[in-house]
Amino acid sequence: MAEVTLHGVHKSYGELSVIKGVDLHVRDHEFMVFVGPSGCGKSTLLRMIAGLEEITDGELRIGGQVVNDLPPAQRGIAMVFQSYALYPHMTVYENMAFGLQLAKYPRDEIDRRVRNAGRILQIEHLLDRKPKALSGGQRQRVAIGRAIVREPKVFLFDEPLSNLDAALRIATRVEIANLHRDLKATLIYVTHDQVEAMTLADRIVVLNGGVIEQVGAPLELYHHPRNLFVAGFIGSPRMNFVEATVSGTGEAGVTVVLREVGTEITVPCAPGGVRPGDPVTFGIRPEHLAEDGTGAARIGGEVQVVERLGSETFLYVRMANGELLVVKAAGASRARPGDRISVGVLADDGFVFDGDGLALPAGPGRAPRELGTTRHEEMRGRPGPLLS
Amino acid sequence: MSSLHSVPTTAAAAPTRSRGGARRKGLRRGVWPVLVLFLPPAFLLFTIFVVLPIGEAAWYSLYDWSGYGAPEVFVGLRNYELLFRNPVFLTALKNNLLIIAVSALVQLPLALWLATLVSHRIPGVVAFRLVFFLPYVLADVAAGLIWRFVYDGDYGLLPALASLVGMTAPYVLADRDLAIYAVLAVVVWKYFGFHMMLFIAGLQAIDREIYEAAEIDGASRLQRFRRITLPLLAPTIRLSVFFSVIGSLQLFDMIMPLTAGGPSNSSQTMVTFLYSFGITRMKIGFGSAVGVVLFCICVTFAFFYRRGVMRHD
Amino acid sequence: MTDAAQPLGTPASRRPARRRGPRRDGLLTLYLYGAMILVACIVLVPLLTTALGGFKTLGELRTNPFGLPQEWIWSNYWDILTTERYWRMLGNSLVISSLTAFLTLAAGSMAAFTFAHLRFFGSGALLNYFLLGLMFPAATAVLPLFIRIRDLGLLDTYLGVVLPQVAFGLGMSILLFRNFFRNVPKDLLDAALVDGCGYVRYFWHITLPLSRPILATVGIVSFVNSWNNYILPLILLNTETKYPWPLGMMIYRGEFSTDWHLVLAFVTLTILPTIIVFFAAQKHIVAGLTAGAVKG
Repeated sequence: MAEVTLHGVHKSYGELSVIKGVDLHVRDHEFMVFVGPSGCGKSTLLRMIAGLEEITDGELRIGGQVVNDLPPAQRGIAMVFQSYALYPHMTVYENMAFGLQLAKYPRDEIDRRVRNAGRILQIEHLLDRKPKALSGGQRQRVAIGRAIVREPKVFLFDEPLSNLDAALRIATRVEIANLHRDLKATLIYVTHDQVEAMTLADRIVVLNGGVIEQVGAPLELYHHPRNLFVAGFIGSPRMNFVEATVSGTGEAGVTVVLREVGTEITVPCAPGGVRPGDPVTFGIRPEHLAEDGTGAARIGGEVQVVERLGSETFLYVRMANGELLVVKAAGASRARPGDRISVGVLADDGFVFDGDGLALPAGPGRAPRELGTTRHEEMRGRPGPLLS
Repeated sequence: MSSLHSVPTTAAAAPTRSRGGARRKGLRRGVWPVLVLFLPPAFLLFTIFVVLPIGEAAWYSLYDWSGYGAPEVFVGLRNYELLFRNPVFLTALKNNLLIIAVSALVQLPLALWLATLVSHRIPGVVAFRLVFFLPYVLADVAAGLIWRFVYDGDYGLLPALASLVGMTAPYVLADRDLAIYAVLAVVVWKYFGFHMMLFIAGLQAIDREIYEAAEIDGASRLQRFRRITLPLLAPTIRLSVFFSVIGSLQLFDMIMPLTAGGPSNSSQTMVTFLYSFGITRMKIGFGSAVGVVLFCICVTFAFFYRRGVMRHD
Repeated sequence: MTDAAQPLGTPASRRPARRRGPRRDGLLTLYLYGAMILVACIVLVPLLTTALGGFKTLGELRTNPFGLPQEWIWSNYWDILTTERYWRMLGNSLVISSLTAFLTLAAGSMAAFTFAHLRFFGSGALLNYFLLGLMFPAATAVLPLFIRIRDLGLLDTYLGVVLPQVAFGLGMSILLFRNFFRNVPKDLLDAALVDGCGYVRYFWHITLPLSRPILATVGIVSFVNSWNNYILPLILLNTETKYPWPLGMMIYRGEFSTDWHLVLAFVTLTILPTIIVFFAAQKHIVAGLTAGAVKG
């Protein structure tokens, strides 16, 4: 079993605390993505799992065994670095073979593994080249190859796509997903790009300021963000937040009035601890606002900027409180800057966050959402054709 | 999955919660062997042949000692007193200052001027740069000996050159007033190329677009040099001055073939003084006092120059 | 070396159809070449007349100081080349300089490696301890050094000259190595640790192969410094058969003080290896010596 379990893990540099108590269970064969803004501690956490950073306090288990005190090479992990970290003076073959040579594997076993990895990654023709003679995408493959040949229990990826250009990033993203399916290994992947996280992960860990904000499947985070931070971080463009005041609670949910805007909206969620008069934050994603005004409520404003992407259009609407509301409209939208429009709010998809920034739980009036199965569940039990 | 578990795993009974030292040791395995293996050679060499001798110099300087047996005749600070009363040492000190002044006022502008010349992209500049740098790679002794010939009263080039224009040149190295200037000329001859290379490197680090922007702003060639090149080159200039000072304080090799400090000790520097009055006469105590003074000057200068002038470089 | 900077504006060749006419550029070129040729003459005339003087008789040296020899006296050179002392002297220098360079590289790179990659108690203080060596010349400690070498029984041995030379070069070499090692991407060390590579093997398998430029720089600086060193061998060696060339040259000059033509031939021959190597490897030497200074 290659589960990774973190229990009360802390990391501090002297007085500065960067990881403030993380409890996490990464399941066998799971594709787990750590995501968060820069400086949130996601890379540090990964490096602690790798053994490159000491664990100040807490316990780390890989495959059931406590590995706090084991050096990286003995933890059964392999890592793909953001900069690829290929040894510049070694050929592709030597790069991949280096770790195995150090572990004193027999020569023919090393050769078999390296050639196999080369075949999987389609870099067989590059084995004699030095990293300098490779393109960015090819280097990326070699870095992954170097991890594969170790046949680790856990793969660790540290922002592996951030040095690739946009087109290559998408192509490689697909390949990594395929690779994970074929290797059937546990994979922990760090990125700051929430799109990458959403598309790749079985589950996502959202980190902020050294603590876990939420763990869940991608759509779970999208539909049920636990707090303001996760709500703002997952989804692109980000969710609109408007200061509001609770005007009433009832069977249908919580009714709020947007401050300085006046619009009254009823969101189907349980009131929890909020009472009428409490200040809250109302959150609504751009895709849940309608340019044509359909919906349970309306927010008026003036169009400031129109971003036309062809397939869709984003309108930046100045509300009465002076702030901008981002509205996702159809690609054929005719809105122009200066237009006064009335934006419809699909209140069922809105969120109310209490004074502490926590989302109010979905109430009885809220329709259950279709979450779908995760990729992890789909692939379970299916044999991988490669590397078996 | 279990077939993939071939990466070696050990220490199954690792302690659940070890702290501090034990943990550090476990993770950073191999740190101590590296320290024990890698540091001692340099540390021992440096301590035995650089640091201890400096300390011993301070100690010996309090004795009157010929170097045999143990130093026994304790004289306190008398060696220093003798030193600062010694007119030759004062001449040496003055000469060192003179060398520093000439380095800063003649050699540095010359090097900077040449650096701007050979930074033009015209055919042959690379060859000229090499030629200008050539004296720097020659040993000081060789340069000194060559110029001894140039200055020679009977066979030298300088008298021959003078007679070509109908003058008689004095034998400059035998002239008490001129000898040190003759030495200075050789110092500049040998070292300007090095400083030129520093400036070339400094000039290359300046973004050419800055010049283009200045040209668009209407700055003339001279204005561009004064308002852009010089300020941006300031760190290099400070570095160049630093090398000039440290280099001139230890000037020795070149003086030996040229004048050996003469005539009548008029061209001594601190190190030639140390050699002629300390080493050749085996006055270890007195010579050590010279070394200590030189050391103090060097370290004080280096410390304050780096902390003060080169603070931001 | 070819990518020259342009401190005074864009060069003539890249400036088509501008207010400055060709006459103006012509004047500039004339000024540039005139100045450069003048300085080159000041540099080269002493060197060339020295080499030519070695082909002349003593008498001709006086009557014809600048011109080519009327009669080329090859024997001046030939007699030196066929003596053992010339070759022995160069051989001594080669042994001392090679040993100095090798030990400086080894001790300096290893110490710098610990400063670049390991944080241990007192590492900062220890680094500053070594950097102290950058601040003063060997001459300051030359008397106690003499006593020490004598007491160690190393007086008049190659090693007695080599070890102090290495020690005094360590400050610079540790600084250069450390700065270089720190610029090697940190991920490389991490990747190697994940690969199961310890620090010693990382140093040997990764750091050193990647450090060829800095090894060359430090090697060149320490070799040239040792090759040209005069004061330490002067004080620490007494047997003429062990003298390196700067000392040997001074001895020769002392013996033949009035025979300038022989001295000139001898000087020419002794600096010839330096000049040949300089022009053969000029790129590395210029870069090494200036980089060594700037980065230090």
